Amino acid sequence: MVKYTIKRIILAIVSILIVSAITFFVMNIIPGGPFNKEKATSAEAQRVLEERYNLDKPLGQQYVLYMNNLIHGDWGISLHSGRDIWGEISSRFKVSARLGGMAAVVAIIIGLILGSVAALTRNKWPDRLIVFLTTLGTAMPSFILATLLLLVFCLKLGWVPVWSSSKPNYVLPIIALSLYPMAYITRLTKTSMLDALNQDYIRTARAKGVPAWKVIFKHALRNALIPVVTYIGPMVAYILTGSMVVENIFTIGGLGSSFVTSITNRDYTMIMATTIFLAILMVVANLLTDIAYKLIDPRITFE
Amino acid sequence: MKKKLVAVLLAASMIVGLTACGSGNAANSTDNSGTDNAATTDEGDANASSADATDTSNGGESSGGSGILNINLASEPDYLDPALNSSVDGGCLAVNSFAGLYTYDQNGELIPQLATAMPEVSDDGCVYTVHLMESKWSNGDDLNAQDFVYSWNRVIAEETAADYAYLFDVIARNGDALAIETPDDYTMVITLNSPCPYFNDLMAFPTFFPVHQASVEAANPDGTVPGKWAQEAGFVCNGAYTLQSWNHNESMVYVKNPNYYDAANVTMDELHFMLSADDTAIYAAYNSGDLDYIDTVPNDEISSLNGINPEFGILDNLGTYYIGFNVNDSVFDGKTVEEAAKMRHAMCLLIDRGFIVENVGQTGQVPADSFVPLGMADGNGGEFKQADTSYYDAEATGAGMLEEAVALLEEAGYTLTDNGDGSYSIDPGISITYLTNDGTGHIAIAESIQQDLAVVGISMDIQSEDWNVFLEDRKQGNFTLAREGWLADYNDPVNMLEIFTSDSGNNDMQLGKGSSAAAPAWGDYDAMINEVRNTTDFAARVNLMHEAEDMLMETWAVIPLYYYNDVYMQKSNVDGIFATVFGMKYFMYSTKN
Repeated sequence: MVKYTIKRIILAIVSILIVSAITFFVMNIIPGGPFNKEKATSAEAQRVLEERYNLDKPLGQQYVLYMNNLIHGDWGISLHSGRDIWGEISSRFKVSARLGGMAAVVAIIIGLILGSVAALTRNKWPDRLIVFLTTLGTAMPSFILATLLLLVFCLKLGWVPVWSSSKPNYVLPIIALSLYPMAYITRLTKTSMLDALNQDYIRTARAKGVPAWKVIFKHALRNALIPVVTYIGPMVAYILTGSMVVENIFTIGGLGSSFVTSITNRDYTMIMATTIFLAILMVVANLLTDIAYKLIDPRITFE
Repeated sequence: MKKKLVAVLLAASMIVGLTACGSGNAANSTDNSGTDNAATTDEGDANASSADATDTSNGGESSGGSGILNINLASEPDYLDPALNSSVDGGCLAVNSFAGLYTYDQNGELIPQLATAMPEVSDDGCVYTVHLMESKWSNGDDLNAQDFVYSWNRVIAEETAADYAYLFDVIARNGDALAIETPDDYTMVITLNSPCPYFNDLMAFPTFFPVHQASVEAANPDGTVPGKWAQEAGFVCNGAYTLQSWNHNESMVYVKNPNYYDAANVTMDELHFMLSADDTAIYAAYNSGDLDYIDTVPNDEISSLNGINPEFGILDNLGTYYIGFNVNDSVFDGKTVEEAAKMRHAMCLLIDRGFIVENVGQTGQVPADSFVPLGMADGNGGEFKQADTSYYDAEATGAGMLEEAVALLEEAGYTLTDNGDGSYSIDPGISITYLTNDGTGHIAIAESIQQDLAVVGISMDIQSEDWNVFLEDRKQGNFTLAREGWLADYNDPVNMLEIFTSDSGNNDMQLGKGSSAAAPAWGDYDAMINEVRNTTDFAARVNLMHEAEDMLMETWAVIPLYYYNDVYMQKSNVDGIFATVFGMKYFMYSTKN
């Protein structure tokens, strides 16, 4: 496992380097620039800024300089606002992680419970209700759900404010963000739970008189978890990248909205830093997912 | 039976889990305190005179205490450093948190702020003497004339790379520094290159506000990040409010500055800004009572609000929404300068401005018949635009000027055939592309123009681009016809006219820049603007500016559509907010019942 982990880490570093190179050159190819404004920046100011941020150098040299700074822990400063990039990313990520983390926990817990209930009540009304709700959850994009929640709970019912300078409310954004992964986990859990419940070891456990709750939680659910764990990596990606719209609608200053703004502004240093940061996050999430397989099912080998 | 029991238990635990999660989130969240509408002004810059914004009267509850005003102006500002800011919303934050030598009152009149009186101007109009009152920075330090000298010189310093450094070009130089003397701590003697009729206005512009030297230098000792000192809450300022907290992309809380020179008259204790550019969220926050004042209203809602909801208001702006031709474009190949101008003139007359302002703008914009907007001063005590300075009848353009447009196209070498149904066929055919940025309002205007031109058989494609790409293409002249707009920075026509000089970065029409035989010679225009900048005779200056506008309009490269205005919504229990025609909004003297 150690050998496998080291191999994965090396692969991860290569992946991140490839991602960074592709991002760097693609963002420089697309038209537009970081200093474009409705009222033109003076030629002199543009020259000073390009010199300051190495944009006057050939692209290859810019990339090498950027990566060299990055390796030395310098993420640079935003071309658009002059703010320290690492400070920006870390503060925004805290917000996104808090929101995304809570959404992920909600999606996993409720998804597992609903999936199990659906499997145990197959073809009965709870199962049918859950299937109906999960189909709805899978079909409805988060931005529509977010707008709907805003209209119903903020405007019609007035239970939560749309915006507050002191008490931002995360309940609605969490619901908007977690519904799709929750629905997906429910369906995954139901399918794998049904599969597990038909296995011989379950029949054996029941025949031996093991209590029903123990059969379900210890034997069936544990085995049903593997496909769910597989989904956690992509789910983290979905929540982090999909959070942009939800963050905008609920005025939450997370990484998603900041990433999209940086692309619109051609804020090269911010685009690079956010992409690399998210790439690292994805790679780590996938690595942890693989290690979790092993912990859940010791039969799995990495060789 | 047991299976059923387990299912019921699981369902129960799900409900408990959901409830617990909901309340947990709400509790957890309490520790976290921090586009584009063509119908209204959406340009990026500005500042100087008039437009009272407080005449609404309708119900509406608002959250927060009576001393807290909840506002949305825009999303996250790039810079709070007044030297580096170039956006209108950033300017609004600056006028509420910094104080300059002069400012505007509720009637839009220029009044002294930290100056004790209006400046004493020498006979030749080149030397301004300003006396300052004693005042303090928010940290208690004394503020004197040296702070202004430092701040102004900082703006023009190369390493600051300020967008608005050019505004200081009117001040003479002593070497690399501005020609400003300070005979004592509270007197500034400013020498100009030549008389400048709008210099008082400039001194009220946010770029001319002072910054705290010790803070600037401490935050940025090597000079590579000029705006660093004002990137987080708590920075030193000298205005009515100081920034207490800033949750990026969420909120900003400004609290009253006890060291503000006029603190005794500041009636609103705190300003809470929602940082969002999402129309839906902003409008929902206003309707739910979370906001008291917004200046972004979804386009779709305007028709149901304008004239119906008394909380909806319109502010005049000094600016013009226009479209412009690239004079070097290949569509004019083979034409003489005059023929090319007639082609553009014909298209100018075909555009139904009345339809655009009524159906797209919807906020009572005035159809434009000149490039310099209505209400702009002439720098000689009068208003620049007079009844006889219209270049066409803006109310009649469209179908009413079809015949005139047809005649102009025929003079330009085209053959037009009446189809008998009110439309014409044109030979040889004309195909152009209209470049615009994304935005429902801009696209709707483009579609309206498309239909107007189709009447004479001109085929127009609409090309909508991402904002940044659009700016790049427009600047490079990669278009035939493009949407444009200019909101004045200060109240003088030269600010509108100088954008078309050959060396201007804003001369998207490429006047004087290309080698096309169909493009007009532009040296005279450059010379005229140069003379406007240097003349000492203000009456002659007005005439020169009229001549310059005539010359510009005779090219028909610039086609004005309407004069900008801006919308806002304000709760009926709020009073005392006022704004200038440059989009600056002043909240310090507002009240909330």
